[in-house]
Formats: sequence, C-alpha cells, structure tokens
Amino acid sequence: MTEVASHTAASHTAEAGHAAENRSAIDAAVRPVVVSLFLSAVGWLLLSSLLSAIAAVKLQWPGFLNYSFLTYGRVVPAADGAFTFGWCSTACLGVAIWVVSRLSGRAAPGVKIASFGAFLWNGGVLLGVVSVLLGRLRPLNGIEFPFGAFLIMFLGLCAIVMWLAITFRSEEQMSLSMMFVVGGVAWLGWSLFTGNLLIELNAVRGIVQQILAAWTASGVLWLWIVPVALGTAYFLVPKVTGSPLFSGPIGRAFFWLYFITAGLVSFSRLSGGPVPLWMVSVSAACGILLLVPVLGTAYNLLATARGSSVLGTSPSMRFVFFGLGILSVGTLLFAVSGLRSFGYSLHFTMFDFGVRALLLQGGATMVLFGAIYYIMPRLSGCEWLSSSLVSFHFLGSAYGSSLGSATLIVSGLAAGSALGDPESSFSQVLELAYSYYWGRTLSYILLFAGYLAFALHFLLMAVRIGQPAGEATLLRTQNEH
Amino acid sequence: MSRSGTYFTGLLGCFALSFGVAVLAPHLQLGPLSPSFKEEDGQISEIYPIANTSVTAGREVYVSQGCQACHSQVVQGPEAADIERGWGVRRTVARDYLFEEQPVVGASRLGPDLTNVGSSTWRNEPEADIHRPAKRDAAWQLLHLYHPTAVIDSSVMPAYPHLFQKRKVSGQPSPLALNLPTKLEPEPGYEIVPTPDGKALVAYLGSLDRSHPLKEAGAIAKAPAAKK
Repeated sequence: MTEVASHTAASHTAEAGHAAENRSAIDAAVRPVVVSLFLSAVGWLLLSSLLSAIAAVKLQWPGFLNYSFLTYGRVVPAADGAFTFGWCSTACLGVAIWVVSRLSGRAAPGVKIASFGAFLWNGGVLLGVVSVLLGRLRPLNGIEFPFGAFLIMFLGLCAIVMWLAITFRSEEQMSLSMMFVVGGVAWLGWSLFTGNLLIELNAVRGIVQQILAAWTASGVLWLWIVPVALGTAYFLVPKVTGSPLFSGPIGRAFFWLYFITAGLVSFSRLSGGPVPLWMVSVSAACGILLLVPVLGTAYNLLATARGSSVLGTSPSMRFVFFGLGILSVGTLLFAVSGLRSFGYSLHFTMFDFGVRALLLQGGATMVLFGAIYYIMPRLSGCEWLSSSLVSFHFLGSAYGSSLGSATLIVSGLAAGSALGDPESSFSQVLELAYSYYWGRTLSYILLFAGYLAFALHFLLMAVRIGQPAGEATLLRTQNEH
Repeated sequence: MSRSGTYFTGLLGCFALSFGVAVLAPHLQLGPLSPSFKEEDGQISEIYPIANTSVTAGREVYVSQGCQACHSQVVQGPEAADIERGWGVRRTVARDYLFEEQPVVGASRLGPDLTNVGSSTWRNEPEADIHRPAKRDAAWQLLHLYHPTAVIDSSVMPAYPHLFQKRKVSGQPSPLALNLPTKLEPEPGYEIVPTPDGKALVAYLGSLDRSHPLKEAGAIAKAPAAKK
C-alpha cells in the first residue's frame, strides 16, 4: 500500500500545487453560476418536498386538496421530477462545475455560457413540473416530463458541458473524483438525449418504449446522481481529513466495475412484467455485482478517513458518511429486489419507491448537502453562521429520510406478501399497506424542519452573512459537554 | 493514447454496452413481433391485437389524470396471484402492447390492475364476496369516478368531480346522467353528466381487454379462476 499511498499523495501534492490564489481566483470565477445553481436547487428541494408531503397526506385522506391539477397521479410525478431533476440534478451540476474547475486548476473564460445553461436547465425543469401538474405528462416512470421540457433541459446541459469541456484538464493520472463526476455528466447528456429522442421519434414500439424509458430513468439515478455523489465524496474526504486516499488503484477498478454494471440494471423494475426473462436475469446479476463497487467505494473512503480527528466535527464529513452509508444500504435493497423471487411480489408496491427514496433522499441528497457545506464558505468568503442550525438540519433530514424510506419499504414488504397470497382480498392488501403511511406523512414534518433550517442558512451564506473566514464552523461533539 | 483518452474510450464502451444490452437487444428481439392470427383455407381470422384508435382520446385522459400512478396494466404470471384475483385469465406479454404508444404499464398498485377491466369476467373481490358489484358497466364506472365510495365502501381512490358537470335538466334527463344515492343528488331540476373527457375515459376503460389467447402467454385460466 506504501506505493499506492505515495502515488496518491503525489497526485494530491500536484493538485495542491495550484497556488492558493489560483484556487480563490477559480472560486471567484465560478461563484455566480455555482451559487445560482445551488440556490435554485434549494428552491426545488422545498417545492418537491411540499408536493411530496401533499401526496403523502392524500394517501391517507384522498379528498385532501382535490383539485384537478393536484390529483395524486399528477402530484407524485411532479414531485419526483422536481426532486430528481430540480434538486438532485441541479445541485449535482453546481458541484460538478466546482469540482471540475478545482481539479483542472482553472476556470475557462465565458462562465456566462454555463450560467445561461443553468438558466435553461431550470427553465426546462419548471416547464416539466408545470406541464405534469396541468396533465401534460408521459406514462413513463421517472421521465414523466414532456419531451419539450427535456429538450430545454438538454440544451442547458449542452451549454454547461461545453464550458466544462473547455475547462477540463486532467493530470497524467486522472483523479477518481474527476472520473466519477465527468462520467456522470457525460452519461446524463448521452442518455437524456438518446432516450428521449428515440421515444419521441417512435423509433421503438410497444413495450420496448417502456424498456427504453426504464433505461433512461435508471441512467439518471445510477449513472448521473449517484456517481456525482461518489465523486464528490472522493474529492471531499481526503481534503477535509488531510489523509491520502486509502487506495487509488482499487478505487479505479471499482469505478469501471461500477460504470459497467450500473448500465445494466435498468430491467429490474420490469421484473414480473411483459419482458423476456433474460432481461430480468441480467439486471438481477448486475444488481448484485453493483454492490461490490458501491460498498468498496464506501469502504475506501471510510478507510481514508479512519482515525481523523475532524470526522466527528466536520459538517461535510457527517453528511457525506451518512449519505455513503445509506447509499450502501439502498444498493443492497435494490440488489435484493432485483432477484426474480422477490421482484414478483415487491414490484408495484411501495418497496421500489422506498428504495428510490433511500438512494436519492437519504443517500445522494446527504452527500450533496455535505458538498454544499464545504463549497459555500469558499465561494462566499465566510463560514457557516451556526453549528446548531447545521446539527438541526442533519437531524431533521437524517431522521426524516430514514423514517420515510423505512415506512415505504416495510409497507411494500407487507403489501407484497399479501398481494402474492390469493387468500387475502385486495382491500386487505391496501389496508395492510396503508397502516404504515402515517410514517411517511410524519417524515415530511421532520424533513421540512431540516430543509427549512438549511434553506435559511444557505440564504444567509449566499448573501455572505456568516462567521469570519478562516476557522471552519465545526459541530460540537459529545466530549465537549 | 493519453490517460484521459483511455478514460473517455472506456466510458464510451460502457455506454455502448449498456445501450446494446438494455435497449438494442430488447428492440431486436421484440421489435419484429407481429399480431397473431388464425389461417384456415386461406382465410385469416382472430387477429390480435388490433390497433384501437377509437379510444385514443380516453387513453389520453387516463394518462393525463395520472391513473397510471396507482393502476398497473400488467397481469403477472402464475408466480403471482393476479390471475386468482380475477384481474385476468393469463399473464400479459410483449405482444399485448404491440400497437400502444408508450404503454401505460403503471407505477404502483395502490388500486387494482386494469389490464382487463373492460372484460365482463374482471373482478377485484373474492368470488364469494357479497359486496362484489354485480357488473362494472359504463354507468358503474361513471359513478365510481364521480364518487368512489358511493359504490365501493373501502375505496381510497380520489373522486374526479372535474370530469363531470352539473347542468339544468332541459326536457328529458340525459341517459348519461348519474343515478346518484340521495345524499349526493343535485338539487331538483339538475343532473350530473360526464364531460366529454369523462365519457372518453369510461369508453377507454371499457375497451381494456387483453384476454385473447396467445401461445407465448401460457394456459388460459377458466372462469371462475381455479382455486388451489
């Protein structure tokens, strides 16, 4: 491992070789676009949570806010789109711009192109959410927005990617962080374009359209949001802890295994459906294989941070490691649900939604929060105002997302086993599933409390209200009491 | 080739592998599917499926209202209990969706599967349930959409009043006017009738029947569904 350590240490020294003034020049250059992406992402986070909360209440009281534009069938895809493309993806774009500039040691001129891209991206998401609420939606799980919305988002993405491509500069050995982040950005562009265009052109027909849609939506989760989260963790953990990466070569092997297997898991949500069996088997096998790079990456990062004194006090580390843990659990459950024997009974229950919530709301979102806690002080020139607000945000979002996902998963398991038993009537199946939904509703109270605290803190930071720069705002540990 | 060149080539390879296996292969396997038919003495009969354009408007209402968020249109095979529940007589296969643009397979089952809801044998209650609706015809579906609990006590489906309108009875009452229980009746002289969207949706629901035998879908369950 010595050779490995010295190698990674060398690459870190090289990265650190970009002078401090260079770093602050990069931060100043990208500040407008990164802060506006984060700001809009936080707005989407609150809006999507509000829509999800409305949907959760509707599950218990179907008559609640029974307007045509707030029908359950419209609110759910609108909330999901606002969360996936509004919050997660917009925040990922902000992180990607910052990480790529920092790792390249430069920010290309013409950052306004990226800002224009961010504007278009947000416009596309807004058009998508409004269209879905007005009933212009596609029956394609995970990509319900109409084609026009995706087209605008794609054009925005193109502008951002163009700027990133000019900025991009890799050292001899590309860092793992860069590999994951750039891989994610490239995949999002490819799959959003290919998937939506082929569907719109009716290039495939019948059930293959759903297979294509599943591939596109699965790419957004597994090959865009999760890789950017992992890449961000690879950037932050060695930086914050000051330790060299535990293993670069193993990390690289996991990267390739991740990108190969994650591209083949899209059939798993179709198990038991009208698709040939080999498809379900491929996804089941790749779902299990996917566990290796996800758990391996989490371990690689944990081993890097082991023994570091800032692990308990750094806000970004607390969020990042919580997120990595939840991502690992989510991937494990995803792998299990892909197995044919489980898939049959769990498919179409709330289990799939629970796993998705675990991966996005508990996993990727927490890593993204961690990234914002690290990045914002560098862009604003001051530190976060209050460690209590950070703690409050952590508790609200950690307990909220865990409770929400857990109730969906347990409800799905209960409904799934009842659904597979012909002796229990469908109303009994529903009764069983519904007995857990209170947890989902309750979880939104916790999430809102946490998210509002974060939104307030973020706004203060965006207008440069905080502690004086220099000493990072740290969380208090048990020992200090 | 530089390191980043190798990286981007590798990435492109992953993308090609993913697209090839997860999109292209299914397309090559399922793309050439054609309708099944019977040929006797040069006469072709029993063609299935047939593109049904008469219910396109209703299908659009179905999608636009987001019905697919809670209702699937996929009957799973014998490993699941779908057939015993009365949702279909056989599992659905790729050929069933041949002429559907963006098939509405659905996202979850907070409501029953609707693959065959237009078939007279479709049911969602146990065979012996005394509360089972005698029939689910267009009038029943309209009433159910207007006020679900008026016909199914335990229904958790939201009502869709925006697919209906209250209007003054002029001359003869409309044959489509809802036959509502007393507590839901409008004031005298008024009736509740479906909007064009409401009518189209019910026509679409009535058209849903994918029980035509297909050899790749396995045996047809006899009605009433065989108990273990």
